[in-house]
Amino acid sequence: MRDLQLSLNQTQRVRLQAALQQLQDLASQAAGSSSVTVADTIPVNNEDGILKGHGTSELDGQVVATLCGVVERVNKLVYVRALRARYKPEVGDIIVGRVIEIAPKRWRLEINFSQDAVLMLSSMNLPDGIQRRRTAVDELNMRSIFEENDVVCAEVRGFQHDGSLHLQARSQKYGKLERGQLLTVPAYLVKRRKQHFHHLEKYHVSLIIGCNGFIWVGEHLETGENDMLEDREKRPETSKSNMICEEQELTFTPLEVRQHVCRIANAVRLLAALGFILTVESIMDTAEASASSNIEIKDMLGPEFYVQTVEREVQRRILLSRKRG
Amino acid sequence: MEVVRADGRTPNQLRPLACSRNLLHRAHGSARWSQGDTIVLAAVYGPKAGTRKGENPEKASIEVIWKPKTGQTGKAEKEYEMILKRTLQSICLLTVHPNTTTSIILQVVGDDGALLPCAINASCAALVDAGIPLKHLAVAICCGLTEGGYVALDPTKAEEQKMRAFAYLVFPNSSHSVLPKALSAVDEEPGIITSVTHGLMLESHYINCLGHGHAACAKISEFLRKSLQTQFPGDLSKGT
Repeated sequence: MRDLQLSLNQTQRVRLQAALQQLQDLASQAAGSSSVTVADTIPVNNEDGILKGHGTSELDGQVVATLCGVVERVNKLVYVRALRARYKPEVGDIIVGRVIEIAPKRWRLEINFSQDAVLMLSSMNLPDGIQRRRTAVDELNMRSIFEENDVVCAEVRGFQHDGSLHLQARSQKYGKLERGQLLTVPAYLVKRRKQHFHHLEKYHVSLIIGCNGFIWVGEHLETGENDMLEDREKRPETSKSNMICEEQELTFTPLEVRQHVCRIANAVRLLAALGFILTVESIMDTAEASASSNIEIKDMLGPEFYVQTVEREVQRRILLSRKRG
Repeated sequence: MEVVRADGRTPNQLRPLACSRNLLHRAHGSARWSQGDTIVLAAVYGPKAGTRKGENPEKASIEVIWKPKTGQTGKAEKEYEMILKRTLQSICLLTVHPNTTTSIILQVVGDDGALLPCAINASCAALVDAGIPLKHLAVAICCGLTEGGYVALDPTKAEEQKMRAFAYLVFPNSSHSVLPKALSAVDEEPGIITSVTHGLMLESHYINCLGHGHAACAKISEFLRKSLQTQFPGDLSKGT
């Protein structure tokens, strides 16, 4: 998702420029660290025992930057953090991906990375929930679990020797995602937090912010149908749960929930186009602001709301900086 | 007495520069550099695991692929690839990621003279966009000796064909010290990374070209610094 096509009229353009200028000023005030380009010297003041971290190197007794970014200091460690970094996966990241290929005993998923991620059949729960060895029949029935172009949520288990990712989806909250939208944003707008799964009760919408920049907004489905801990006694119930599944397929998502999904998806698109960090709070704020100002969902990507969002962000940051004193 | 060239520029004037980064989704880093009508698109993939046979595994290796605008790749493209590879090897820090390969792919979008310097600038910007650690930035310029005996910078294709001799020169960028100026030492002498010459010129002309080129490179490196420092307001936020 690149920039939105906006046609701003004159006043909107002026307001936008003013608001962006204010954001720049606030940012340069708030950020105590300086931005550097390659081969700039970093002021270290001849302190002892400075640890030179990523993005720095030593030249003639001076610490010189090798990357373009901002200088960060943590006690004795000085390093340069690049701003528009590409997605760098780590073990334990929550990832949303799309299945592009079914290979022997594995699925290949496209995530926002240079290589495709691999989800092994053995890292996935079988539909009947029993823990057993995967047989050839299971391999032939892989399509019944995930097909091509399905959206899947998983967790990074590790790296292969050539740098591609190994995923696992063994828990209830991972697996196929249905009834929603997948959005692509630049990966540096998503910071690692404690929680990536959000259930917005007000809207009956579940929001999954993948660390790779894929965001899923969809209707909130109650999980627990295919519980892993089902005993044998619950077997006769499985036929009933199958019926329930079919029933769910027959019942469509209510219109209101769909509208909420679209509203939140547009809020995400807007924030991504503006380059603001995506957090649940900011997405909820934007969606609520649009609802309270009675802006149509399709107008959320229009020029007026765009400018209003920037102005609101300026206000919020001024408030935050004032609170800090 | 200011000589005016065919397109109305003075001898020391460069064509309008434009640089945009982060264009391609799949590449780790990408940049598009244009000087007038000469436009080159560079994409960087890497570092990827494994070096090729014959390369030193204790250092990172760089692989360059040059795609011409029309036609197949021939000897001229291989020569460009080799020059670029040597230049970029000298600016990258090779010991940071040993036993890896970084690939740089260049696509010529428009060719109107000074193609190799444009490509070097584009690949340097793409390396920065990919976040690969560099010792310093490489800034390239083309200086030519015209028939009138004066040095012209950044010639167009028509001018290049009429020139007696020209040289592609690559300098490191001027480093900007964050320390106050008073503490910095005496200005170091200008170093040169790469020099490729075509045609016959006297030594004095060559030294002249070096001087002009170095001054022009300071301007280009200022432009590069400005374009690398423009950021989104949201990125710098510490308030979120």
